[in-house]
Amino acid sequence: MARRVAVTGLGVACAVGADVETFRDNLVAGRGGVGKLRSLDTSALRVGIGAEVDADTVRAGLKRLRRRPTDRAVDLGLVAAADALEAAGLIAGAPPHEPQPVAVVLGTGAGSAESHTTGHQRFHERGVRGLRPSTVPRCMYNSISAGISIHFKLTGINYVVVSACTSATNAIGMACRMVRDGYADTVLSGGADGFFDPFYFGIWNNLGVMSRNPDPARACRPFDADRDGTVFGEGAGMLVLESWDRARGRGARIRGEVVGYGESSDASHLTSPSAEGQAAAMRAALESAGIEPADLGAVNAHGTATRANDLCESQSIRAVLGAAADQVAVSANKSYFGHTLGASGAIEAIAALLGIEQGLLPPNLNLDNPDPECDVRLVGSEPERLERPLVMKNSFGFGGSNGVLVLGPGE
Amino acid sequence: MDGNGTSEILVRLREVLRDSAVEERDWDAVAPETTIESLGFDSLTILDVLYDVEEEFGIALEPKQVVKTRTVGEIIGLLQQHGA
Repeated sequence: MARRVAVTGLGVACAVGADVETFRDNLVAGRGGVGKLRSLDTSALRVGIGAEVDADTVRAGLKRLRRRPTDRAVDLGLVAAADALEAAGLIAGAPPHEPQPVAVVLGTGAGSAESHTTGHQRFHERGVRGLRPSTVPRCMYNSISAGISIHFKLTGINYVVVSACTSATNAIGMACRMVRDGYADTVLSGGADGFFDPFYFGIWNNLGVMSRNPDPARACRPFDADRDGTVFGEGAGMLVLESWDRARGRGARIRGEVVGYGESSDASHLTSPSAEGQAAAMRAALESAGIEPADLGAVNAHGTATRANDLCESQSIRAVLGAAADQVAVSANKSYFGHTLGASGAIEAIAALLGIEQGLLPPNLNLDNPDPECDVRLVGSEPERLERPLVMKNSFGFGGSNGVLVLGPGE
Repeated sequence: MDGNGTSEILVRLREVLRDSAVEERDWDAVAPETTIESLGFDSLTILDVLYDVEEEFGIALEPKQVVKTRTVGEIIGLLQQHGA
């Protein structure tokens, strides 16, 4: 028999907060974190803005773990994982930690991008002599999950799911199934990405999907008629998923529930989204949760602020929700902390869970002129009451990977 | 082995060790008698140390010799043998 999946720990590190309380307060107050990029020389690029995590905050977080910086994505993941595990009561204080059978299933889009770029730079400068022996383990995509497993002594399986912008949502979906179906009692899930380096940011620059708005605070405008592209962010979001009964049995604070999960593949185009594919994943998620569209209080949209995404996503939401789409509020968070690629599903799932906990949806930042072509009910410029405590979290990635979570309240 | 040479190598070696390390610690406190194991290096990260030492000091060391060293002072001795 399927088990209920409780969320007992949350951890986040992104441009609007490297702890859950700051993150929550900034969302509700409508304070975004997009600015001119400081960690990267953007003079040769079309775009010079992004949502960075304050370097001192990351350094302080690592110091608490007695770690030196290794790779940006790994570092962000470790800091967020520490908070999630601590909040769940699974670790206390500094290492060494006692081994415990917790799995680590994370999403990432660019993996250890910084290590890749550093390795390539050294190779081109000095040939094979330029490559440090640790280049292999540093460049493995699973260095993020492995680093967390090793540091916190988590002995369940560790791996990463790589499906571009859907990575973390697919990972949380996998983790949810592991707990629900009895393959694991506790899973640390979520995602991490950090790619403000000359190569990775450069390739996104050349793809031409980023906003060129000169005003960073107003650049990322999901579902706004005046949007001109997405803004990227770095970050990590971590959630401790465990069986509801186990969480209750050990007296853990249950902060929310993963009620359902659905997925699909567009099987059509590498970068253009498909409303049919997205709708299939949403329907599967609702079916998995055993709910009807009208039971939803909100949709936490993928909402990248590209025209292609926003039009397609509003069509797929309308197709699945039908008349209920007139009532169900659509919330989009990327205007706050940018598009964090493979981490976005986790950071936004945390935003959704905090919203359920507070009964409140943050304002849709920069939505000054809602696009009339997007036929959904968008949250406005003020925080809004969440009428029903069930939120559908959408993530859609290049490659046609779609992942949708249904999140609910704790107790 | 003169005193000044040892301390100069030690300062440079501390930098190399810090750059290869995963764990944070007080690197200024690393002394010749400090053991490599106590600095948190394992069979993988010690290879980075070897690589970085060769880069920093411009000499080639035998991995077998480096793996045998137990203390920071022994690495300094090895470097001095190789003319660092």
